[in-house]
Amino acid sequence: MSGLRRVDVAIIGAGPAGVAAGVAARKEGAEKVVVFERDWEPGGILQQCIHPGFGLHTFGEELTGPEYMHRYLERAREAGVEFDLNTMVFQMDKPVSSDGRKAARFWVMNPSRGIEQVEAKSVVLAMGCRERPAGALGIAGSRPSGVYTAGAAQRFVNMEGLMPGRKVAIMGTGDIGLIMARRMVLEGADVVGVFEIMPWVSGLRRNIAQCLDDFHIPYYLNQSVCELHGKGRLEGVTVVEIGADRKPVSGSEKFVSCDTLLLAVGLIPENELSRMAGIEIEPGTGGPLVNELMQTSEECVFAAGNVVVVYDLVDFVSREGERAGASAARYAMGRLVKGDREFKIVPGDNIRIISPQILTASEDVTVYLRVGSPVEGKCRLRADPGLSSQNLRYARPGEMNEIKLRADKLKALAPDVTNVAIGLEVL
Amino acid sequence: MHWPAVIGDYDVIVIGAGISGGTIARELSRYTLKAAVIERAPDIPFGSSRANSSMIHGGFDDKPGTMKARFCPAGNRMYQTLHEELDFKFRKCGSYVCAIGEEEEKHLEMLLGYGKANGVPGIEIISGDALRAREPNAAPAITAALWSPTAAIVNNFEASLAFIENARRNGVDLFMETEVNGLLFNEDRSRVRGVATKRGDFTARVVINAAGVNSDIISRMAGDDSFLIHPTRGEYFIFDRRVGDMVDAFFFSCPSDKGKGVTVTHTADDNLLIGPTSVHQADRDNRNTTRPGLEEVFEGASRIVPNIPRNMAITTFSGVRANSKSGDFHINALSSPRGFVNVAGIKSPGFTSAPAIAAYVVEMMKDSLGDLVKFEPDPKFVPERRHIPRFADMPMEERERLAKADPKWGQIVCRCESVTEAQVVEAIKRGARTVAGVKLWVRPGTGRCQGGFCAPRVVEILARELGVSPLEITRHGDDSFMLTGKTKEPLLPGEPL
Repeated sequence: MSGLRRVDVAIIGAGPAGVAAGVAARKEGAEKVVVFERDWEPGGILQQCIHPGFGLHTFGEELTGPEYMHRYLERAREAGVEFDLNTMVFQMDKPVSSDGRKAARFWVMNPSRGIEQVEAKSVVLAMGCRERPAGALGIAGSRPSGVYTAGAAQRFVNMEGLMPGRKVAIMGTGDIGLIMARRMVLEGADVVGVFEIMPWVSGLRRNIAQCLDDFHIPYYLNQSVCELHGKGRLEGVTVVEIGADRKPVSGSEKFVSCDTLLLAVGLIPENELSRMAGIEIEPGTGGPLVNELMQTSEECVFAAGNVVVVYDLVDFVSREGERAGASAARYAMGRLVKGDREFKIVPGDNIRIISPQILTASEDVTVYLRVGSPVEGKCRLRADPGLSSQNLRYARPGEMNEIKLRADKLKALAPDVTNVAIGLEVL
Repeated sequence: MHWPAVIGDYDVIVIGAGISGGTIARELSRYTLKAAVIERAPDIPFGSSRANSSMIHGGFDDKPGTMKARFCPAGNRMYQTLHEELDFKFRKCGSYVCAIGEEEEKHLEMLLGYGKANGVPGIEIISGDALRAREPNAAPAITAALWSPTAAIVNNFEASLAFIENARRNGVDLFMETEVNGLLFNEDRSRVRGVATKRGDFTARVVINAAGVNSDIISRMAGDDSFLIHPTRGEYFIFDRRVGDMVDAFFFSCPSDKGKGVTVTHTADDNLLIGPTSVHQADRDNRNTTRPGLEEVFEGASRIVPNIPRNMAITTFSGVRANSKSGDFHINALSSPRGFVNVAGIKSPGFTSAPAIAAYVVEMMKDSLGDLVKFEPDPKFVPERRHIPRFADMPMEERERLAKADPKWGQIVCRCESVTEAQVVEAIKRGARTVAGVKLWVRPGTGRCQGGFCAPRVVEILARELGVSPLEITRHGDDSFMLTGKTKEPLLPGEPL
């Protein structure tokens, strides 16, 4: 092996989180900042997100995924971020002690250079997420072709110009499913319906309006695909109603003819490398447990984007990527200052996921959260004891909420306070 | 597809390229005779050999005196070295039959008796506590267990491919996607002369029927209706590798009024596998899963290994077994017409028994069909065969060496299972023709994302290597096309969707 390659800040993944982290790390003063990306070009999943709707918060205008990425990549070039493309990080070791501090070690592979071991003063995990597959749902029936996750279908259509099918049913109302419903219609397919097992949609409301309603694509709540038909290619699916007890209503089964089933039934943070490195995973989010500096349970390892928690908007992914990149740079330069308190965030009723989960009161922080079930009406997010509150017109599982907490208020809490409760009050 | 439609004349034709056909073909390839295997499916393994518990049984389960009791322990002994010779994954894990309560403990006593009579080495009954000391996730309710140290797990895809590939290496021809639709006879039907297929005729002195769930249909073509296949379907769950080590050994339940008993396994590839159900059905090709079946599997598995996290399931599947009505294997050479050999009813422990059955079949043929086929040992026979190197299991130096030599070894296609482009290309070179076929060879798509990321890449590589359009690539043959066209291709007026 060709010796140990040393970098200051290593970033794993050149999607929106990783690129933003790279820019911030350079701006913070880190010298050698390298983004490792397994694909041959940067951008991550945004490369195939050719629809508009990105960047309203960051740039004040609606961009496509590749346009949004392009702007960040310009920033990265100006900032002097290095990209190591076509290079897959395939193994991550537990951090080692180096000059009195921890350092990260991992293995990369590149088709032209072979295998290298890298040591980084700090690392930012930005591997994103993957889609929940059909097999995990235990759908009964046969195993025909034509069953794809929405993201795989999106790759075929948008990147390769190939149609995964002509007559499409969609299971789940995750955003990629809604986006793909519209895309398949635009490409000449017939979308027969979108079936959502829950009583509410799991994607953004705007996507229901812009991707389904505007294209007269029907969607059905409390309905689920329970069986696949067809030996070769998919010939249809059985759809069943889900009762108030959340169980299938027997006798409500109906056959829906289709040659394609796309699945948009959830995203799972991709933490295989994090687990190899022994990083603590938060069961609620499926991502690393992080503090407000986006620092994981290993002090030299930071994380950002959908690898931590699945965000609804890319703008937030970039913002948190910047936070992680800046923290990682400060760590690499030996000047990361954690706060001197440690609070655990305790989510209240109907709060399903929350990030970060630990606060050290080092700096002001935006806490992101999603509710478990929708509250259609005025409600208030509260952070206690007496930290802040935020009025909301509604709270829906598909749309993230945020609440800002100030470091000075956290610091001022009585020394015996170790929990910060974040709850939702219905007004 | 791309099979040369060479229709030939052979000494022996084997119908079916499952584990039975594969092991027999390899035994035949030790001799100078000319043999071919004819398989209706596009991929190996396709039928019962593909979807099963991948277990190499100890051999205590079958009543002494039966063919199963004879061949299963013998097959187990053969696998202990065959896996090295043929390079397929093999995990010598041992098995426990778990008893809950006195009634089930009596069943263990019976099996212990069978095992001793069948010559199974090392079996013993241990207490529930002794079991839990070795296997902490075994259910607290288990009161005793029958331990069989020689039981093992294989990668049944690799094993099936290994036998047939070694047979090919030693001169056996293989014809895929070639369904047999009749037999050829001499004029008075006293002798079999070959087989008719949808591609044309193959002539042969001896035809061996290893057609799995369809073996009774083939047998009836020869005028033998002495046995019937009553297919049974079994459903399974596979779980993420992260929970593979919940058990180390293979766990059986005792059969009860609730069913034959679900098993829990740490597979050769470190997943957790639970199943099967056992449902009789008329349809030989119905490999559907069902909601009640999957519930039954999960409940049955939880009885012996509680706390299996259901949300870690990555897929479910079902397989059909070639269950003969007698319950035993059906292996014989017909006296009329001569030249027809049945290797039928090969259900559990069929995978285990297959190498022993194959050796027996050749001896039987030497005795009773020696006038039709000459068995002269082939001095050029090579018993060894290597699987495609497995990147995931390699030491770092080996990865480095291969990646240096060929950039395709440095390109990961399947991130969940760490499969490189070089492995996919090699699988295609060695016979994979479909997305499922590539998966059987080198595992892309068997991991936790189930092909979400790698399926588009595998389609692309298949199309490139086979020199066809991606639109021609299928998941598993027939009309299972992965794609339906290009984007922005309008439908013709009146064209149905």
